[in-house]
Amino acid sequence: MITLEKQIDAVKSVLKSEDILVFEFASDEGKKFAAVYADGLIDKNQLGELVIKPLGAVKKNAKFKDIKLFLASPELKEGKKVADAIKEISAGNAVVLVDGESDFFIVGVKMPPMRAVAEPPTQVAVHGPREGFIEDIKINLGLIRKRIKTDKLQVKTFTVGEKSQTAISIVYIEGLCPKGLPERVQNEIAENKIDIIPDSSYVAQFMTKRPRSLFKRCGTAEKPDIFCAKVCEGRVGVVVDGSPICLTVPYMLVEDFQSVEDYYITSYRATTLRVLRIISLLIGIFLPALYITAQLFKIQIIPFQLLLKISSSVAGLALSPSVEMFLTLFVLEVLNEASIRMPKYVGLAMSVVGALVLGDTAVKAGIISTPAIIIIAFSAIGLYTVPNVVETTTTLRWMALIIAGSVGPLGLVLFVAYLICYIVSEQSYGAPLAAPFAPLIKSDLYDSLIKANMYSLKKRPKTLRVREKVRLKNDANKR
Amino acid sequence: MRISVRQICFIMVAYTAATKLLIYPTMLSWFCDGAIIFPALINFIVCGAVIWALSFLCSKTDKTFFGLLQNTFGEIGARIVYGFFAVFFLFAALLPIFEQKQYVHNIFYDTVPPLGVFMPFFIFAAYAASRKFGNIGRCADICLPIFAGTMFLLFIMAFSDVKADDFLPMFSVPATTIFSTAARTAFNFVEPCWLLMFMGHFKYKKGDAAKITLSYAAGAAIVILFLALFHGIYGPIAPSRTFAVARISLFFPAIETMGRIDLILLYVLEVVMLFAVVINLQLAVHAIAKCSGFENYVIISLATNAVFAIILFIFDSRYNAIVTLYSQWLWIAFIVFTVLVPALAWTLRRRTR
Repeated sequence: MITLEKQIDAVKSVLKSEDILVFEFASDEGKKFAAVYADGLIDKNQLGELVIKPLGAVKKNAKFKDIKLFLASPELKEGKKVADAIKEISAGNAVVLVDGESDFFIVGVKMPPMRAVAEPPTQVAVHGPREGFIEDIKINLGLIRKRIKTDKLQVKTFTVGEKSQTAISIVYIEGLCPKGLPERVQNEIAENKIDIIPDSSYVAQFMTKRPRSLFKRCGTAEKPDIFCAKVCEGRVGVVVDGSPICLTVPYMLVEDFQSVEDYYITSYRATTLRVLRIISLLIGIFLPALYITAQLFKIQIIPFQLLLKISSSVAGLALSPSVEMFLTLFVLEVLNEASIRMPKYVGLAMSVVGALVLGDTAVKAGIISTPAIIIIAFSAIGLYTVPNVVETTTTLRWMALIIAGSVGPLGLVLFVAYLICYIVSEQSYGAPLAAPFAPLIKSDLYDSLIKANMYSLKKRPKTLRVREKVRLKNDANKR
Repeated sequence: MRISVRQICFIMVAYTAATKLLIYPTMLSWFCDGAIIFPALINFIVCGAVIWALSFLCSKTDKTFFGLLQNTFGEIGARIVYGFFAVFFLFAALLPIFEQKQYVHNIFYDTVPPLGVFMPFFIFAAYAASRKFGNIGRCADICLPIFAGTMFLLFIMAFSDVKADDFLPMFSVPATTIFSTAARTAFNFVEPCWLLMFMGHFKYKKGDAAKITLSYAAGAAIVILFLALFHGIYGPIAPSRTFAVARISLFFPAIETMGRIDLILLYVLEVVMLFAVVINLQLAVHAIAKCSGFENYVIISLATNAVFAIILFIFDSRYNAIVTLYSQWLWIAFIVFTVLVPALAWTLRRRTR
């Protein structure tokens, strides 16, 4: 017979940290218990109401099975090994040790510090739901289950991270997503033995065969409505504990041009916005490079009146056009980086420095020309019309600028041709990154740059090779 | 990743036309005066017939050209024929590369830049040529809409200055001149060989032969229309107007007030032209790999492009001599490889012995 003290010692010999608390208590008849938990991770009220209070009525000679009947917690498990107890305590559950018993109870009274469900700042929608994922995996899975009520929805959870033991859930709809894909995703994530998974972006890097690629291989969703729509299209979702950004695979580049709202507004407006986004993105990447090209290598491109304006602006400028543009872009990147990281109360001062000192004064001092500032400003705005790929597009903008400044128009054209050649050979879990354009899949074009009405989207994307192809069943004659 | 019939059709439309917009119209004007359309038509009809025959052959067998050669002549024989094709594709790629270099240097830059500016082309070509057929097809998927859009706009810009009476002397050119021009410019036509190499690498379905042939006809129609516009704008001075594609929109009224906005279209079109030039290199790399049995496309592509870069470096100022070589001597070899050999593919044994 093992005494309660010995059990507590066994646990505390491993979990020596001061935030691991042991609460010893006894029933009215004197049966002794101990609750062991990590401070700050559990709901103490629940522990009191569901565990400690009911156990007060346990008889002195009650057996382990009888004691279990007193516990009112809906999340209750039995454990045998000390190692299991340690794992559960570290995960935020409470372990209830019983005097004279080697077995113990694991009670799910987890309540880690978390924020409320709120609208994510990067996927704001005027129309449509405003709920966003938070850092807690259970809440996130709940938000998903709230929207997909089918019994076919499957969630497979496993842990990765030798030290963090981060829970990762693979979410998919059985019979819909390609066969073997959930298992493949799980294996590719699980085979990485890393110490900690602080965010889903770590997992995203494990889910690519070419980690050095400039293009990502996973779609991201910060809102359950988007995530659920993607899962219902036949994709596999990955929810990572501690991250408000969920992943979806297979991923196609075109996904990032589809905004949240496109599906909640008229198809005409959605199509216009998508075209606008792609044009803005292209302008964002290539406008500074084109400007340099025109100024340095082919001045004929610029209309005459505009050329006069530019020449009056650049007259007496100390720097060459490419160095000027390079410098302006560098200043923009610095301002961008600083504005994200600096404390808010410094923001106003920073805006004044950025706009007046760096902008106005630099122009007056003849260091930078006005057209350069306008072009860089427009380029910066253009790239943020598609925020999900901004990491890639800013890098491409730098590359285009350097190539344009050194090789000129041919370099720029070769750069575009290289990009096309590269992108079309990229894949994400069997789906071509450039689909539905390369390979051209006619039926999928209706939800690419064009957003057709719902009756034209009766079938799920062909690119995803889903098993259940039809998603909208209605009387074809009526529509 | 295999190539699909749709992608082959796109190649036939876009790349066929894209390779004939620079020097070819000027050359036709030089050899044939006003009748520039007829020699082009003759070549297109002959190649179109070969393409139809080849695509029809694809309906009879799912074997590659190499497989057919193997069946008939054995492994060694097939390798030898592919060796010849490798050399042929290298020659087919050489002149367009020189053309591209001339075009880029003259049209894309205000002042002619040093040769080094063109050298990054070989980096791209080395990368592109190391990819396999699936990649060629997917690039064509992207290139066709780009090509169609830019050509449509360029045509619109060109129409305003066409003088129809410039076409009138076309019937006064003797037939012998027309046929000799067709023969001497035959080196611009390698499309049947593309299809020969793609044979067996795509899944043939009923009606695909017609699709491929009609696509080629569409590409031909674009070129014919382009030639007509070019001649309609420049008439008797057309033989002195090189890089036709950059000239046809010059007189568009808006250009005077807005700068040469057509240059943006030319930059975009150049993307398609690059792929059209590179396809010969891609097929040369494929043929070398098959011939040598050394399947490392990356190394073959790097070596091939390094050699091409050296050739360009040495013969940079000998462009006219190279054109003369092609138009006076090599056109015979081009007719053999693009017309006779593909037509003879019908005689190859289609069943395994």
